[in-house]
Amino acid sequence: MADRAGVIHDLGYRHYDGPRDGVATIARTLFVTGLRHAFGLGRSGKSKILPFLLLGLSTLPAAIVVGVVTLVGLSDLPLTYAGYTNQTQLLVSLFAAAQAPVLFSRDLRYRSIVLYLARPLPAYVVALTRWASLTTALLVFTVLPVLVLYAGGLLAGLDVSDQTTDLLKAVALLLLVSSMLAGITGFISSVSLRRGFAVVGSIVALVVVPGVVTAVQAIASEEGAEQVGVAAGLASPWSLTNGLASAWDAGVEVFTPPEGGWVVAYLAVAVLIAGVGLAAIVARFLKVGSQ
Amino acid sequence: MNSTIIKLAAQALLGRRRFWLLLAFPVLLIALTVTVAALTDAEAAWPLLPGLGYPVVLPLVAVLAASSVLGPEVDDGSIVYLLSKPVSRHSVALSKWVVAWAATMLAGALPLYVSALVAGGGDRALAAGLAAVVAGTTYSALFLAVSAVTRHAVIVSLLFVLIWEGLLGNLLSGVAWLSVAQWGLRIGHEISTELPDPTNLPWAIAASLVVTVGGVWFAGDRLRSFTLRGED
Amino acid sequence: MSGPESTLVLESVSRWFGNVVAVNDVSLTIGPGVTGLLGPNGAGKTTLMAMMTGFLAPSAGTVTLDGEPVWRHTEAYRRIGLVPERELSFGYLTGRQFVRANADLHRLPDASAATERILGVVDMVEPAGRRMDTYSKGMRQRIKIAAALVHDPAVLMLDEPFNGVDPRQRMHLMDLLRRLGDEGRTVLFSSHILEEVERLARHIEVVVSGRHAASGDFGAIRRLMTDRPVKYAITSSDDRALAALLIAQPSVRAVRLRPDGGLDVQVDDLGSFAVGLPRWARTADLSLYDLSPSDESLESVFAYLVAR
Repeated sequence: MADRAGVIHDLGYRHYDGPRDGVATIARTLFVTGLRHAFGLGRSGKSKILPFLLLGLSTLPAAIVVGVVTLVGLSDLPLTYAGYTNQTQLLVSLFAAAQAPVLFSRDLRYRSIVLYLARPLPAYVVALTRWASLTTALLVFTVLPVLVLYAGGLLAGLDVSDQTTDLLKAVALLLLVSSMLAGITGFISSVSLRRGFAVVGSIVALVVVPGVVTAVQAIASEEGAEQVGVAAGLASPWSLTNGLASAWDAGVEVFTPPEGGWVVAYLAVAVLIAGVGLAAIVARFLKVGSQ
Repeated sequence: MNSTIIKLAAQALLGRRRFWLLLAFPVLLIALTVTVAALTDAEAAWPLLPGLGYPVVLPLVAVLAASSVLGPEVDDGSIVYLLSKPVSRHSVALSKWVVAWAATMLAGALPLYVSALVAGGGDRALAAGLAAVVAGTTYSALFLAVSAVTRHAVIVSLLFVLIWEGLLGNLLSGVAWLSVAQWGLRIGHEISTELPDPTNLPWAIAASLVVTVGGVWFAGDRLRSFTLRGED
Repeated sequence: MSGPESTLVLESVSRWFGNVVAVNDVSLTIGPGVTGLLGPNGAGKTTLMAMMTGFLAPSAGTVTLDGEPVWRHTEAYRRIGLVPERELSFGYLTGRQFVRANADLHRLPDASAATERILGVVDMVEPAGRRMDTYSKGMRQRIKIAAALVHDPAVLMLDEPFNGVDPRQRMHLMDLLRRLGDEGRTVLFSSHILEEVERLARHIEVVVSGRHAASGDFGAIRRLMTDRPVKYAITSSDDRALAALLIAQPSVRAVRLRPDGGLDVQVDDLGSFAVGLPRWARTADLSLYDLSPSDESLESVFAYLVAR
């Protein structure tokens, strides 16, 4: 026992010198997994029920409308693409509220976040990836029925350029609302780690608050205080989206449509909500990840 | 009923963040009604009740209260501390329901009545208050039963309220026969005809009673078969 | 302990979940004293414990406490104290409030006195006024035991009670459980760590892959298994000479020189080895300093049962 110095024994492991995937690939894999998980894919059979039930419920009317348009031979769709999402916003809100905890609560609650961070992946990238997964999932959720309508409309021989313009407006709005909803529900879910409370919290933000705003707008419109209603519209993601849809002439009726400078304010606040939500999620992941 | 379980459940409900969430609903509702009534007139504030307070705030408060008294304990298994006692499981369920019911009344039905008073008062307010008491009672029992069955109680309950009663209830009038909110309205209709008349009165009373008693009994029955499993 | 002694009896108990058999035809009787329920993770210990505590219905067979079924029989909890593995979600209560709530749930005539008494037993009087979410793991285990013991039950069942408890607290807990067993209570605890069971329980019930693999005093179980080689550690005046001598004997299967001196000997035929060893040593003029069975530990019993 002369040599007391430490030694690393050669157990025959071979060193790997080949190319390694970078942060971008890891992030992409995480993004795709997150997107699949939002729809229950790659998870248990039970977790597929809710997302697909909601997706079915929100697509079914589109299929019915297409059927009616084709059979009756209407020259126009009975509602616009943006107007369709306005009708199904409750389903979209429920989807966001129910699936955000899947992506945001579990890693933090069970602290498996440290396993992600043990990879060469900074906490903010994990947070961004999660947010991107949920935003994309919401976009898929909202765009799918709209595409069904669009395809049906074209098959029924409606004017292609009119329909495409309408569709592009709707998709721009859906992208905006998806990133807002993902920011809001993602942040709520990363703070309230108990699934039930995260869901109720998200429902408050996505259903109750917009309900309040709509009520205020209705009253303001009736009382002739349009400006109050327009200002109240800044307070919820759905009223912002619907206000913009109305201003862009995308076929959504609101009690108090924004005009002029208000349209810019609506857009700015919408982008701000999405941005602040995202920043808050990142801050939350950085904090929990460093504990 | 068991006073210790009631005390523990009340402590769990009051002592934490969820209490603030629960409190936010009545504050929001009353503040909104008062603001609108003050800026315009009482009559203009009334649509807030059938539009927001009754169909959204009341059931949400019931969902939150019912799932709070049972959900987390079933979820993390710590309910075994209550169940490994010589106390009948039906009595456990009943005690839990009493707490959820009281919370629903205080944070849901009472503020609704207060808002109705602000928005004009009269028979109409009393009718709305009665409807909220009936529906709140039924909701809390129904959601307690849901909490005893599934870990996704909040989602399932919300689907029932928002999709079944809300979305489909607005499209299909037949849904009223299987809608807790409509039963409550029908009973309130007896006091003021300003409330709608969606079903017939005996049905509304019987259905509310059956769901309330059945819900609490069912929750107790589920607890009787409560099974402790490993982590999953 | 005030009440009479209690016995828990499982008769041909099986439990399956769909196609998976978690517990397969287990019959056992657990009486007063400390019993260890031992098995590797996934052996069915938790399922078995759940059935014994009335939180799972057996698919077949019966679980009875003093002749009465445990499933759907809440009155049985008057005689049962249960310490689940699950953590407490009552962190917002103080230890005293929590134990007191348990006493109240049992409708004890003097719940306050019972609470203070049991806090003394588990040595938690001093921290009892603090909220439980400030407790260490060992303190939480002790407060859970206090809550389970507050109604003075004849049977105490603990699921993995030593998991995550630091060594000093573990000693403390073991002393407590040993004392409770000596009082005539039926104390059953589950564990997958052999060293714990070995130090606390002479009586063990072993479950492996859902089957009742062994039962009784672990030394006795070990001796019952004569068909497996026994290991001894021997030190002598000349290990190499002794090794050469031993390997020539038909009763010896293997000999190994230990790097730190001494021999490891694996013996097939225990009888002739025991008789022969002193004679062989004497004829070769070797002195034996130490002869000890190197695997009379639960670990070896266990490894053997699992491998069988």
